[in-house]
Amino acid sequence: MDTAFRKINIDKYDEDILLPAELYDPDPRTPAQVLADARQKSAAVRACLTRGDIAGALAVALDQYPYGEGVDEAKALTLSTVLLILNSTKTADIGPLVRTLTQDQQDTLMKYLYKGMALQATGDQADVTGSVMLGWHGGLTDVAGVGCIGRVMTDRRTV
Amino acid sequence: MSAPEVFPLSVGPITGHAFNADRSQVCVSLNSSDAQVMAYDGTGWKTTETLSEHDKLITSIDWAPNSNRIVTCSQDRNAYVWTQVPDPQTGELTWKPTLVLLRINRAATFVRWSPNEDKFAVASGARAIAICSFDEENNWWVSRLLKKPIRSTVLSIDWHPNNVLLAAGSADQKARVFSAFIKDVDKRPGPTVWGDKLPFNTICGEWSSPNGGWVHSVAFSPSGDAMAFVSHDSSISIIYPGGPGVITVKTTILPYVTLTWTSESSIVTAGHDCQPHVFQGSENGWAMVGSLDSSKGTHRHTGQRNQIEAFNRFRQADSRGSQGEEDTELLPTVHQNTITSVRAFDGSPDRVTRVSTSGVDGRLVLWDANAVGQPVGLAGKMAGLRM
Repeated sequence: MDTAFRKINIDKYDEDILLPAELYDPDPRTPAQVLADARQKSAAVRACLTRGDIAGALAVALDQYPYGEGVDEAKALTLSTVLLILNSTKTADIGPLVRTLTQDQQDTLMKYLYKGMALQATGDQADVTGSVMLGWHGGLTDVAGVGCIGRVMTDRRTV
Repeated sequence: MSAPEVFPLSVGPITGHAFNADRSQVCVSLNSSDAQVMAYDGTGWKTTETLSEHDKLITSIDWAPNSNRIVTCSQDRNAYVWTQVPDPQTGELTWKPTLVLLRINRAATFVRWSPNEDKFAVASGARAIAICSFDEENNWWVSRLLKKPIRSTVLSIDWHPNNVLLAAGSADQKARVFSAFIKDVDKRPGPTVWGDKLPFNTICGEWSSPNGGWVHSVAFSPSGDAMAFVSHDSSISIIYPGGPGVITVKTTILPYVTLTWTSESSIVTAGHDCQPHVFQGSENGWAMVGSLDSSKGTHRHTGQRNQIEAFNRFRQADSRGSQGEEDTELLPTVHQNTITSVRAFDGSPDRVTRVSTSGVDGRLVLWDANAVGQPVGLAGKMAGLRM
């Protein structure tokens, strides 16, 4: 029996198909701008970290994060910037740090934690440590609750 | 402060409930293609009549208080209007169905009578809302479809008090306000905060859920000047088109799936957290003030189970190779599973004194809408709530 018809992408013939990109508001910045911002923030975060200002570094890294399509380089850069902060924090400091973040920043941090854990599972990212991720995840869930985890799952603006 | 009245109606889920005008009868669907009309006999609700006409699961029920008509809609893509007529032989009053041609090609998901009871709206998975009105000449219900710009299944609807505007929440993560003006039925409405000129299918507004969750439920405030919606990203948004725009409250708990206004400044929400929560506020801001469920005990929700308990469970499974005793402990809340519907039960629209809830646990519960207490298992978490 001919089964080639099963491979036909029928969505191509659907006039009102709903594309994933239509489900969120696109970033008003151009991809080049996003990348420039990410580079600039990465440098700012490093400056904060040398001063020992972890709260400031987190706030800088988690605001205006890159999402959507066509900004993979900026996404990778921001992820490693966030991981740098997460890895250079003492476990005891996590709770108080998380409390200083706004609710939007908490939601964004949770996105990066899940992204980090996903990459750790595949072994693609060398600078992810499971225990660090789980420590942050626990600390963040204590403050922001399961609602924050749900928002990571529903949000199409993936990091 | 009176205790909630609990009526276990079924072991399985209740997919919708609607009371009649004097609250002596309730129409429910117990997760099947039949709807039951139940009457209160002093001890509990007993089925007096079964409405069987649908051939797939009934998704929603509404009972028009003044004209005493029931409307049901189902996954079989049909809606029926049920009217009480005397049986030709015995003279007893029985419910007789009238089929409504909805012209949709996916399941109907939600149905509500308009305030004047001369129209009803049926939400559906066909990216459309059917607005149905009665055609006297042909003696049938005709439907007109609200289509644009809906991109996905419509999950809930609510009528504005002026009988023309309709709010809809949908799985494309948007809440919208439409005009459902039907020339032969409606008189030209006065200007509202949502707009002045309102031909059919005018879009008066479109709002996204804050973090991309499905919009589970929408409701206009008693005056109709504000609209609220809850979405799957554990948030509630209140819209003041004439004032500050959108006010959003993100919560730390599992998502709400249903809501109702109990006055111009308070809302009762309920959902996956298994208890009705009360929000209060105004154009200046909203906040959760507590729960109607005053049950005592620790919250044993999967999401909030404490870590040591989980650790011990796994250690036991590891060392003894056993799963341990079955976890049969009940939730500390009155509802034992997700609440899927909350509706006003008693009082006027702008001062609701009691609300009714039904859910996946098969219970129907009546709550005192003013008995606001500390949320079950959330003590200490309230500090983390922000506006």
